[in-house]
Amino acid sequence: MEPSPSLSSANPAPPANPEDRIRHLPETAQAAFRKFRALGDVTALDPLIFAILENYAPRKPTQPLADVPGSTLLMDTLGFDSLAITEIVFFTEELFEITIANEELIRVRTLDDLRGFIQRKVRDRPSA
Amino acid sequence: MALLPVITGLGFITSIGNDRATVLRSLRELRHGFAPFDFLGNPQVPIKVAGTIKDFAFPSLNSRDWRWPVGYAIERETLRSLAPHGLYALCALEQALADAGLARADLTAGSTGLFCASAGSPLLLTNHINQMHATRGMRGDPMGIVSSIAGTLNFNLAAHYKIAGAVCGFVSACASSSHALGYAMDEIRLGRQSRMLVVGAEDMNAESILPFASLRALSTNPDPATASRPFDGRRDGFVGTGGAVALIIEDAALARRRGARIYAELIGWGQAGDGHSVAISHPEGAGLREGMRRALADGHVNPADIDYVNAHATSTTAGDRSEAIALQATFTAGGATPRVSSTKALTGHGLSLAGAMEAAFSALAIAEKFIPGAAHLEEPDPICAGLDLPRTSLDEAPRLVLNNSSGFGGSNVCHVLRSVS
Repeated sequence: MEPSPSLSSANPAPPANPEDRIRHLPETAQAAFRKFRALGDVTALDPLIFAILENYAPRKPTQPLADVPGSTLLMDTLGFDSLAITEIVFFTEELFEITIANEELIRVRTLDDLRGFIQRKVRDRPSA
Repeated sequence: MALLPVITGLGFITSIGNDRATVLRSLRELRHGFAPFDFLGNPQVPIKVAGTIKDFAFPSLNSRDWRWPVGYAIERETLRSLAPHGLYALCALEQALADAGLARADLTAGSTGLFCASAGSPLLLTNHINQMHATRGMRGDPMGIVSSIAGTLNFNLAAHYKIAGAVCGFVSACASSSHALGYAMDEIRLGRQSRMLVVGAEDMNAESILPFASLRALSTNPDPATASRPFDGRRDGFVGTGGAVALIIEDAALARRRGARIYAELIGWGQAGDGHSVAISHPEGAGLREGMRRALADGHVNPADIDYVNAHATSTTAGDRSEAIALQATFTAGGATPRVSSTKALTGHGLSLAGAMEAAFSALAIAEKFIPGAAHLEEPDPICAGLDLPRTSLDEAPRLVLNNSSGFGGSNVCHVLRSVS
């Protein structure tokens, strides 16, 4: 018998387990997230941030983003569009239970901008 | 010379096959696509069977978990905003374009349009709204709307294929993709477009199918071999299905210039409302009868000229009865006896997808010179007296085929297809 594929019909939806949210990411990224949760060290998040970016890239990057210069433009050079940026924002909000306003995103243009922005938001969140 | 729409490409993701050859064999040999289906993991649900789509899997809402047949290369840029039926549709359209000998570059000039039909994705819409409630409106999946609302097919496919011609979605429930096809014919006939892509699709899950149980419209028969039996006296409701079907419609002159295979000509269509009930067909089939009359008049053919009718009949008590009466009034009363069958006996009822799916089956019947039989029909309802319902598929080449569809609110749409002149 085929199982019904629906998983979403409970209302309201229960909060997802953070581990479930990152299960599609590489093991190095999952380990970085666990290390961050254990130690609270935002500098440990880099592998996770790169993995999130690669996960939401509209087209598969030609090289690992960790090897790309930090000054590289997300939209003009790496091919991210505004939809992909909003997906990354949503995923990050859900994972770290933070809120990101549209105005905060205006200055985010490069890989380093985004890395630094996420690190600051996570570091400064009320529960951190 | 008048512009004439013709069908030059077909693509299938259906319960009876995910390619033309498999679908053709299923129609010829009357192989159904039903299987036991676990609705919501609740054994108390009385609906036990569905027209399942094979070789696809949607084990979670995360598209990273989705699986589809090999041979379809789909970038995340496209996958990120698709519903399950959007994935079906993309695969069906890829097949249809390859079948028609068209490349993506052939679609972008503005002379190609795209008409689609689906009910949207209740599964993804429910999830999106639940998410909104859970966060008290603070955030939601950015792709939540474009992946779930009615119109998701045309949003996604138009963007993916860079369609610059007419783009529209049609919503008339189970007549939706028949409307899409009819209006696509008009785009060609009016000279507005030289090529139209027509796609019908639906999710295949509890969220899309089970709500019809509330209307008591679904069969509770647990036997996949008999649950869907249109026009049979023991029918007790329809069996739900999903999937996608795509048709490539072109002006005949364009098709001939580029040496395309032509399955069938689309020579007429008609529509008429029942003016009766939100969810129950007119007891005498009034709207469907008028829809057939208008389609035949549009095609300049007489009822006696029709060789085969692909009936809408879904296997519901009231709907099949209405259509049988409408068919008798249109054909039998005047001495015409076309072959009649409902291929929903094999596929189940594809809702918005149904009309396009059955138009494609009709085109296959014309091109492959056969008539699909009335599967699972053992004891015809006495109301069908006078209708020619062949129990097996026939090696007869239909020259003219009528394809019927009916939707909620009494929307009735009919197409006339003709073998190539």
